[in-house]
Amino acid sequence: MKGLFKSKPRTPAETVRLTRELLIYADINSNSREAKREEKMSELSKLIRELKSILYGSSEAEPVSEACSQLTQEFFRENTLRLLIICLPKLNLEARKDATQVVANLQRQQVHSKLIASDYLEANKDLMDILVSGYENTDLALHYGAMLRECIRHQCIARYVLESDHMKKFFDYIQLPNFDIASDASATFKELLTRHKSTVAEFLSKNYEWFFAEYNSKLLQSQNYITKRQAVKLLGDMLLDRANSAVMMRYVSSKDNLVILMTLLKDRSKNIQMEAFHVFKLFAANQNKPADVVCILAANKEKLIRFFRDFTVEKGRKTFFFGSFSVKDEQFEADKAQVVKEITVLEDRT
Amino acid sequence: MAQDIEESRKLTYPLDPTSYKILKQIGNGVSATVFKAACLPMDSLVVAIKAIDLERLRANLDDVRREAKAMTLLSHPNILKAYCSFTVDQHLWVVMPFMSAGSLHSIISSSFPDGLSEPSIAIVLKETLNALLYLHDQGHLHRDIKAGNILVDSDGSVKLADFGVSASIYEPNSSQCSSFSSSSSLRFNDLAGTPYWMAPEVIHSHVGYSFKADIWSFGITALELAHGRPPLSHLPPWKSLFMRITNRLRLSDFEKIRTGKNKKFSKNFRDMVASCLSTDPYRRPTADKLLKHPFFKNCRSTDFLVKNVLQGLPTVEERYRENLICLRSQSKTDDNDDGDDGQTEAVVKHRRISGWNFNEQVLELEPVFPIDGSGPPTPTKEDNNAKIIQNKAAPSLLVPEFCFRDETRLDVGINENEKVEEVIKEDCGIREKNDLGTEMAEEGRVTSVEEQETGVTNTPVEGVMVDIAPLVPKLRELLESLEFEKHAVSEIIACISGGEHVEMNREEEFQEKISQLNLQLEQERRKSSLLETELESLRCTESHDM
Repeated sequence: MKGLFKSKPRTPAETVRLTRELLIYADINSNSREAKREEKMSELSKLIRELKSILYGSSEAEPVSEACSQLTQEFFRENTLRLLIICLPKLNLEARKDATQVVANLQRQQVHSKLIASDYLEANKDLMDILVSGYENTDLALHYGAMLRECIRHQCIARYVLESDHMKKFFDYIQLPNFDIASDASATFKELLTRHKSTVAEFLSKNYEWFFAEYNSKLLQSQNYITKRQAVKLLGDMLLDRANSAVMMRYVSSKDNLVILMTLLKDRSKNIQMEAFHVFKLFAANQNKPADVVCILAANKEKLIRFFRDFTVEKGRKTFFFGSFSVKDEQFEADKAQVVKEITVLEDRT
Repeated sequence: MAQDIEESRKLTYPLDPTSYKILKQIGNGVSATVFKAACLPMDSLVVAIKAIDLERLRANLDDVRREAKAMTLLSHPNILKAYCSFTVDQHLWVVMPFMSAGSLHSIISSSFPDGLSEPSIAIVLKETLNALLYLHDQGHLHRDIKAGNILVDSDGSVKLADFGVSASIYEPNSSQCSSFSSSSSLRFNDLAGTPYWMAPEVIHSHVGYSFKADIWSFGITALELAHGRPPLSHLPPWKSLFMRITNRLRLSDFEKIRTGKNKKFSKNFRDMVASCLSTDPYRRPTADKLLKHPFFKNCRSTDFLVKNVLQGLPTVEERYRENLICLRSQSKTDDNDDGDDGQTEAVVKHRRISGWNFNEQVLELEPVFPIDGSGPPTPTKEDNNAKIIQNKAAPSLLVPEFCFRDETRLDVGINENEKVEEVIKEDCGIREKNDLGTEMAEEGRVTSVEEQETGVTNTPVEGVMVDIAPLVPKLRELLESLEFEKHAVSEIIACISGGEHVEMNREEEFQEKISQLNLQLEQERRKSSLLETELESLRCTESHDM
């Protein structure tokens, strides 16, 4: 960063060019002489840090938008992003983190009020394949994961990932034993399925069959506490989104789905129960319940009503979430009353 | 150096619970328990495992993810990193290096009740600063710097731990973008940390805050190491917050160093702490600058800690056990403090028990909030103040203490109510008295101010056990005598400081504070109504656009 204030300051574009040269070097010469290579790699790390401080500013200086836009233009003028992603495994931990932050920042940089990162990625969608497969590598997962989450801020990129075969892999990634990686993958999964409403709605309706089959069996019926908890929460977020109303109607018209949610309602985790309720209420509120759904609800009428009588927000929790959350509590009670009302009028037709 | 650490990371720790043998519990909090354990496939290497109960944890899972990520990606000799983490049913196990000497908080409370010597403090603080410098350089705020989060190993190495409330300026706030993120995602404008160590601009959280907040907490931690406890810790946390907001006690905190007990502190130390505790965050030095402070110039090596602090120290396990026994006997006399009830949890949540930090000072002095409960008298001045705190400081921290407590407690609150105003005034005075308490006692002129003061704060708690009504006259008596003593004390202060320290009429001062706070509140209201109008107009344009 100090380099900026030296007698011959490099322009941001020059910094990018130098970085690119060294990346090319790092990419090709993985076996060249140790000492020389080490020197180049440490220079590369410094340059990446310099890029970062141009983009983010430092404790002494705020970022300068003109410098940022120069940097961004030069960065995407050639294939720097690809090189950086490919060479990431060759960088040390600090440089990897810096590189990740640089990539993240670049996704938001506007040049002439255009996100040029988006255009670049659209033409280089295969980079997403590298980033997604990063979840299979413990050392790279968190870096590639963070980059990926930034890239899918662009709708076209999110669509690409959603429609790719990678989507299927996420069901396994989010259950990896390593918590850091699994939770990073779930964050990306959630982002993919909630961020761009119209794209998500389109994806869910086109891929309804396999997606929810996987979702139900691998996630909602998982033995793993955290998988279940996150999955039922995300399911609620997806189904309650207005953009997904068609998908929601389809989901709550299925008897099998209802059975799964009722099982979750009885889960021994209060958090899971709560989240399950927010999905279950949709089954009950559906004004065109299919006969088999009615049948199940009616058959369990007494049990459900008894269950809801004692089903409340935990006392401690209630007090803790003061303010905005007391409204939530009220909403919850209202929802519950509505559900009970809906169920009460059902008649067991069997 | 970083290379070495990376190398050691290559040793992959097993990700299943059966590979670890739990040896002993060494700490616990409401949602986490810390164990000493052996990693069987690694020659039974001793590790610490923090088992976080995700079901009881009030934070959302995104925060947990951020913490885990921070602990994995941060790599510095002065930062406690996680070897690995994995879930075991509803628990998250975080496997970490075992720091055999435990936290400085625990070391101090077990063996150095009056604080550490200056050379030891310098070492601890310098190592902590190294960690802070690295963190800040990485764009991370720690947000909970305190002795309880500074751990020591048997070789004297010092590591900063617990990133439960840490935040990264680089980590985009995804939960803000996604639809209804329901829980208390802790961002820069949220209240995080532990009240006593909290910087004023964190409490005034509307202004947002930055790295300088960590520097403040660092300064408070310096005081904690020097005195054996953080300033204002004799007050319940919300009062501590209140004091901080009224801007009043900062100087006297620092004064404490100058006049404090029998201990003499060097000018360098006082100067260093004072710079950290500057009210204006911009005037506080950066971690980088602080490291260059003369106080750290002739800092000794960590061996000094081994010889002077660690030797003869009970083990972490022993200390934990002792503490348990201690807590148990406490809970016998006061079962309201039982860690299991809701309000306690809420407070603890913000402390993010690091496992070694099991002394719950905060919980011993439970606040009784005067305005809560049925039929309080006409709003008094500090009602207003209290509301301001409630508004400014995130309710999540304060509210649980005010409502939904059990009824007995409420009753006490109401009884107290009549006198509350004075009590608060008393509390303001306590600081000065406390500072001079020991000196006075030596001079034999005032009999143990501190004892009486604790009497006042504790009475409500004890009152739960005893019939409450008869206490009221006693309390009044106590107040009167305190009033008298206060007078005496201020005279002494005036004598000692040669008139410099002339006390302003408390009533006047209070009035002034209140009008200031009211003014602030008014400004905030205006701001928020402006913002609302703006939001409304934005909404309008948006709906037009659609």
